[in-house]
Parts: sequence; structure tokens; C-alpha cells
Amino acid sequence: MDIHSSTDTATHMRDPAVVMAPTRLGAMHQNRISFVRTLIRKMAQQQWQVSQHEWQLSAQGFGHVIYKLKTENAEYHLVVFCNDIADDERNDRVIAEKWDVTFALVSGAVSQALLAQLQANVPLQEAGRNPNNVLVLARANKSVRVFQHLVSKLAQGQQPDTQELAEVGYILRTTAVYGNGKFGIADFKLLENNSDFSQSFSAQMCAVYLLRQFSLDWVHYLAEQQGGKKSVKLNRDLQRYLGIGNATGLGMAPYLINHPSIVDQWMSSREAALTTVLSNNITADKIEPLQTLLEKAISHLQQVVTINTDQQAFNATARADLNTLIGKLAELNAKQTWADLVTQSTSLSLEGQEILLSCLMELYPEQVDQFQNIMNCDETLSLPSGKKVQDLIAILESRYQWAIATDFTKAENNYWFWYRSQEKEEPRLGIRGEEAGEDKELPLDVGRQTYHLYQALLHSPARTSLAEFLIQHPQFRSIARRAWTLGHKQMGDIQMNVLHKDALPIHLLRCKLAVFGATKFDPRSNLWVRVTFFQGAPLLDEIHDGEWLFPILPEKNTLSATSNISQGEL
Amino acid sequence: MIVSHNELMAITNKAFLGMHRTCGEADEIASMVVNLQMVGLNGIRHFNKATQFLTQEKDCPVSISQASVGVLNVDLHGCSLACHLPVIIDYAIEKMVGKKKLIIKLQHCHNRWLAYSELVKLANKGIACKAQWNNGTAPKRTLYILNRGQITPEIFLSNDMSNSAPSSDHDMTIELSLKDFNVNALSSDYETHIDSSDLNNAQDMAWNKGIDVDDAEWAILKNTATAILVENSEQSQQGAGGLV
Repeated sequence: MDIHSSTDTATHMRDPAVVMAPTRLGAMHQNRISFVRTLIRKMAQQQWQVSQHEWQLSAQGFGHVIYKLKTENAEYHLVVFCNDIADDERNDRVIAEKWDVTFALVSGAVSQALLAQLQANVPLQEAGRNPNNVLVLARANKSVRVFQHLVSKLAQGQQPDTQELAEVGYILRTTAVYGNGKFGIADFKLLENNSDFSQSFSAQMCAVYLLRQFSLDWVHYLAEQQGGKKSVKLNRDLQRYLGIGNATGLGMAPYLINHPSIVDQWMSSREAALTTVLSNNITADKIEPLQTLLEKAISHLQQVVTINTDQQAFNATARADLNTLIGKLAELNAKQTWADLVTQSTSLSLEGQEILLSCLMELYPEQVDQFQNIMNCDETLSLPSGKKVQDLIAILESRYQWAIATDFTKAENNYWFWYRSQEKEEPRLGIRGEEAGEDKELPLDVGRQTYHLYQALLHSPARTSLAEFLIQHPQFRSIARRAWTLGHKQMGDIQMNVLHKDALPIHLLRCKLAVFGATKFDPRSNLWVRVTFFQGAPLLDEIHDGEWLFPILPEKNTLSATSNISQGEL
Repeated sequence: MIVSHNELMAITNKAFLGMHRTCGEADEIASMVVNLQMVGLNGIRHFNKATQFLTQEKDCPVSISQASVGVLNVDLHGCSLACHLPVIIDYAIEKMVGKKKLIIKLQHCHNRWLAYSELVKLANKGIACKAQWNNGTAPKRTLYILNRGQITPEIFLSNDMSNSAPSSDHDMTIELSLKDFNVNALSSDYETHIDSSDLNNAQDMAWNKGIDVDDAEWAILKNTATAILVENSEQSQQGAGGLV
């Protein structure tokens, strides 16, 4: 991408106060440059090949399986271990110690010695140690209901009840997908020059995509074990409809707070892509595809099952909003740009607005997809030489109003404290003054630190050099580096006081999950959400550049005709 | 054992945060430790040594005075260099504007090996750097020279104090210059040379194969990092959102 077009785009981007507001981040949806989308395009364009390399499962489905991934440049293996666990051992939280499935994505070949090492360590997850040719370490639990229903029906030669599938949307649900050096595996730096996985989180996304194929192969295998020749494979439309679930808790929030440059880069790249799209004049040939996408989104929201009453209401409002919007599409004319439509749509709910943005980005792949390559960034937080106290004050007043205008002497603005528990270092929230652990509070209070920095700066002569100020007040250097660096980036920091009594960490989780490409948001509490990945994505043997956005359950009369073919015939 | 860069960064970060010091930045200190460890110069051991004293040291700003043109005296009041060097270097670079060289005389400080990576950053900014200090135990004299654009320094060690100018065992002198230092002339009375290429190779190896750490030192660091953890309780378990 050339710098001039990028700079020009930057001048028309939306205000960071709008884009980085927590409630809007908490309404984000997948778009074309979400990581799962980028991965699928790359796999299709470069014709990556995946094959079953080893299948060493017992008749009950326990043992190990290895898939081989061959790219243009190298070979990788996904090594999956299937374990027999009791129902009461199945726990999605980080404090769990056993899982139905544990797996690792390995660079290169898997020798017998390496397999033995993985066998001894991968099932232990955090308690194991792995070599640095392991790129991804992860685990997943079954949706017991879907798993049992599928195996039982397919074994009997029948297709499943589609409603059972729709309520869940996956067979396996990941509960942690580790990369970047965790527990001895490869640092991300090692992948910087690996053209297959140089984009951050792409190795993790690939491991999850391969696991989706395993989840299908696994139920087919067990159905055949139980039903023999009578068994059938799952209808391909339904296979495509099933993704991989994911349970994400509070632990993801500290990542977003501790990696502000990465979050800025993700959001700035999306915003740059969006700005490019919105500058196009509305043309008649784009109206119909837009309407189709919006209708698909309405169906998707209709089918999302969530126990969260707020999310139910958001989805219902968004459906109504999108129906209204569809009714107005005919009034659009070629003198308008898409930006005009977005401006007219600001009265819609945030869910509705965000869905519209994702749909609009879908209409211009040739303009949007180039931005997928600028999702990585340098994370250095630094202060330049020669700056004065007044220079930093100016940045805080222009970019950190959300922090400096908050009165941190009020209890409600300091309500929570964040800490790590001795229990597997799980990040948790405690109520200040009521719960133990406040003395070990994590410094995730970006808003409060910025407020205190601002107050100290105001009490210093404006023309004092910043370096001199920090010699006298070294406790502020860390937040000063952050505020200066992020204050000069396009989108900057997330504008959220995470200590506030009403702060919803789930907004942070939703933002990251949407950037990854999650769908079907099902909050289980204010700190915990279930989603699906790759739901509606092409299957491995049909991988193609065509895309999906909002997965919807195939209608019974459109299901393809593979359902009655027995496994023996395939 | 072998650990990853990210693991060592994260655990050092936690270990320092657990000490709840006002001065010192956890991410900067973690970088100091990791970068020193990656070139094979025992970053973890130096940090573990520092942690024995950090919580008992003063936790206050340094005092800086200009001794003469081009010379800064910095009193660290007995604190660890790790907690203050980044802020001192920022200040020194501003004071160097318009000058060809600047001498920073650090007094009453500890953990001078941890200066390693902050000084490496200077070379990337086009500033050559020479640092030297004396120690009560071997090696008694250390000289660190990093000329402009180099990735790793030349390090010289000696136990011979006969040619050494009198200096406290808790001081360190850093000289910044826009011109490169004459390595041969400055190092002639040092017995041991750690070649920059050896450090460079060690660093490459650490990136590619993982970072080699001493098991006992790693265990100490891990234990230090537990100070930030809060005891588990029934109430605490609800603080992660629970399961529905």
C-alpha cells in the first residue's frame, strides 16, 4: 500500500473517541480483514494442502491424530490428543486441569521422539514444557450435547436435528489457544520471517481451523465405529455450518490493556479500510449485494441463541434497525457516498451500525483486502527528546479527555481492582475495600494513571523539559511513554476506565474476538463470553476465496443431497 | 532449562511488579534482564541479586547536578540502576544536544550489569558509549564499549587494580560520544575480552533455540514472581466471571 493513500485515508477517519469507545468496541463484528478471513483467503490463494497423517484412535475415540499441513514454503503438523475425562472435570476456565482434546501445531516433521515428548506434555497444557518448534499449544472441550447427538444420529444413518446444532454451532470449544513463547513454545519473533505465519495470531487461527476438520472427522469416525456400514456422514451444508466454539474469560482483557499499540494497529487498519470503502459513491450494482448481506445478518441474529438478556435485546433491536435500513436502500442515489449512509445510520443501535460497517467492507474486496497486511506493529512505547511539559499536556487534553475528565477521587471510578489469583494466575476482579488482594493490584488502570500524570504536569512549569519532569517524578515515566506514543497513533488507547463500577470487561473481549473473526456472541456474564470461529467457513477440501460473514443454518429444503450416503459408500 | 523470550519477559515483569516500587518500570527492567540473559551474561542472576535488596532500598528520585560543562553527577541514593537508568539516559541525551560528548557519573548505585540493554539502545541512536565500573569482587574492573551502529558491545574485564583510578565500588561512569571510541587503546590493560561477535552469536542462538537459563536461578525468579499473586478464595473465584 502506498503511503500517500494511507495518509489521505487517515485524515478522513472517524474520531478515535467514537471508534475506541468501549460500548462500540463491544458491538464489533467480524469483517473481511478479521484474522480468520485473512487465513482462509491465504490458504485458498496459496493452495495449502491438509491431509490426515496419522489416525491412532481407539474405538472409543481416544488416542492421537496427526494432520499434515503443506504450504508453499514448509510443512507443519497438527498433533491432537483425545482424552477420556469425567463430566465433572470438563471446565472452560483457565483453572481446569483436564480437557477432552489437547493439541499442538508443530513446525516441521514429528519424529517418534517428538511425538513422545508432546504426548507427555501437551495434555498437561500450562503444567507441561514444550520445545520451540511448537508454534501453538491449545485445548478444547466437547459440546457434549452436540457431540453425542451427532454420533448417535449419524451412527443410525440419520442426519441430526438441525435445531440442536443451531443452538450451539460447534462440536469442540477451545478454552485457550496459546502462541508466542508460552510454556516454552516458539516466540512470535521466530515467525517474523516465516511468510506462512508472519501475521500475528495466524498460526493460532490455522490450528483452530484444522481442529474444526478434526472435530468433523472425529464424529464421523465414532459414528462408523458404532453404526458400521449403516452410519452416514453429516450433510456437507451442516458440516460447513459447524465451527469451533470458544470460551473467553476475563484473562483476555489484560492482553488488550497491556498491548495498546497492537490494539491501535488493528483498529487503525480496520478504520483505514473502512474509510476507503466509505469514500466510494453509491452505485446501483452494490445495493443488491448489500441488501443480501444485511438480510443474512438479520437471519444470523435471529438464530443466535444466548442466555444473556441484554444481548437478546441488542440482537432484537439490531434486527429491527437493519430491516428499517433495508427499507431505505432504494432511496439511495449515486450522488451520495457510503459515508453519507453511515452518517444517516448513526441513530441505529451500535450492533446495527457495526453490522452495516462489516457488510459495506464486504462489498469492496479489492480495496479492503490489502489492509490485512498491516495488522502487525512495533510495540515500543517511547518519549522523544526535546519535549516540554506543555507538549504532553496538549496530548492528554486532545486524546485522553476520557481519563483526565474522570474524577478519580470518587469511589465509583475506583470501584474494581484487578489482580492475579494464585490459582493458575487467573486474572480476576475484586471490589476495592471489600476483597483481599488490593495491595497486589495490577497496573491496568490506564485512565487513573493518566489522570494522576495530568495533575502532576499541571503543577509543573509548562516549559520544563519532560525529561527533567520525569527525573523528579520517575513514577510517571511508564504512563508518559504510553500516553505520548498512543496519543500520536491514529486510534490510540481504548477509552475505558476499567476500574469504574459499571465498566464491562466483556466489551474488551468482544473487540479482540471480532478482530479475530468470531461470530455468534453469547455472553455468559459480564466477564465471560462464548463465540464460534469458522462457522460457515469452507471445508478443507473445498477451500476457496469466496467468503462468509454471518453464518446461518441451512434450510432443510436446501440441504445438499449427501445425507443418505452411507460412510461405506464414501 | 530452555525458556522463551516471552516467558522470561513476562515473569520478570511480574517479579518486579510484585515489589510495588514507585521508581522503575517493569517492562524496561524485564528488557534489561532478558537482553543480558540472551547474550549469555546472566541477566537472571543479576536480577535475582537485585531483588534481595530492592525492597529494602530507598525508593526516591535520583539527584542530578552538573559538575562542569559536559559532566553530570547523578546520585542514586543506593538504589538499583535498573530502576533509574532509562530516565537518566533520557535526561542525558537532552543535555548532550549541541555537544560532542557527555560524561555521566553515577554514584551510590547497584546492579550495574543491568545497564547493558539501555546502553545498546544508544548505539542505535547514533551515540557511541563507554561504561566502566569497579567491583569489590572479581572481575574487579569492567569496561563496556559500544560504538555507533553496533548491535553488541566489546566487554573487557580485569582483576588488576594497579592502573585503576580510585573509584567507589558503587559508582559507574558512562561516557556518551558522537565519535567512536578507540577500543584497542582503551582496553590495553584488561586481561579478558568478551568479543561482541560472541555476544551476537549467543543472542542469535537464544532467539532460534530458546534462552538457556540456570534451573536454580529460574526457580528463584519464578518464586519472586509469585509475590503478586493473591490467595485463592471462594469469593475470589467469582471475580473471574464464573461459569453459567
